[in-house]
Amino acid sequence: MGELMALLVTSVLVNNVILTQFLGMCPFMGVSKKKSSAIGMGVAVVFVIVVAALVTYALYYLVLVPLQLEFMDLITFILVIASLVQLTEMFIKKTSPALYKSLGVYLPLITTNCVVLNVCLVNISNSYNFAQMLVYSIGTPLGFALVLFIFSTIRERLEQSEVPNAFVGNPIALIVAAIMAMAFSCFTGIV
Amino acid sequence: MKYLLAILFFGALVAIYIVLYLMNKKTPRPEGCEDLKADCDGCKDYACTNNPAHNQVKGE
Repeated sequence: MGELMALLVTSVLVNNVILTQFLGMCPFMGVSKKKSSAIGMGVAVVFVIVVAALVTYALYYLVLVPLQLEFMDLITFILVIASLVQLTEMFIKKTSPALYKSLGVYLPLITTNCVVLNVCLVNISNSYNFAQMLVYSIGTPLGFALVLFIFSTIRERLEQSEVPNAFVGNPIALIVAAIMAMAFSCFTGIV
Repeated sequence: MKYLLAILFFGALVAIYIVLYLMNKKTPRPEGCEDLKADCDGCKDYACTNNPAHNQVKGE
């Protein structure tokens, strides 16, 4: 149990996927201007990553390994993620209009989010067992959502602040991201 | 045999993706969600169809 807790803390804070691994930078910069967008994107990423990790993990150990097709893991995972996003979008369209209203726009964007592929590949390359895979697959997108939310609140405050002309927009956002990365680096060593 | 299996497996995955893509495209959007827009104007990926640059009139 202690090991799983350590893995959770590591994936959320210590090895944060955005601020220490620099993955998923596109949605981090693109969908962080408003708090509401950041929350929508964060929830969508958590949902897709957990489902994608479960499916790819099962597919790897139940199909690729028995057929000795392990070398096809990358292409398989890319296609599975793309298919899953289509399936999820279709399912939400039919069953929950309210959920589609808040997540629908962000679902296609997740297909190109490299965090999803990273989680699926790390689960395999680190030879995680099922419990470890589940914890890592929940912790990583939670870390992503947490940083996206914090960053969006800072950017909303920045919109109301007086920023020198040369730094308005993305330049000041990148400086904030760098400061946040330094702050998160302080978590190193707590686990 | 191994490579034939690999090609078949890859073909099956591509076929599944195409079928799901077409099914998703045919599924109508719920009422009130026809004109949803992503607030991702901070992103500079102009190839993405969600980028607000696609909604701008030429010369704007």
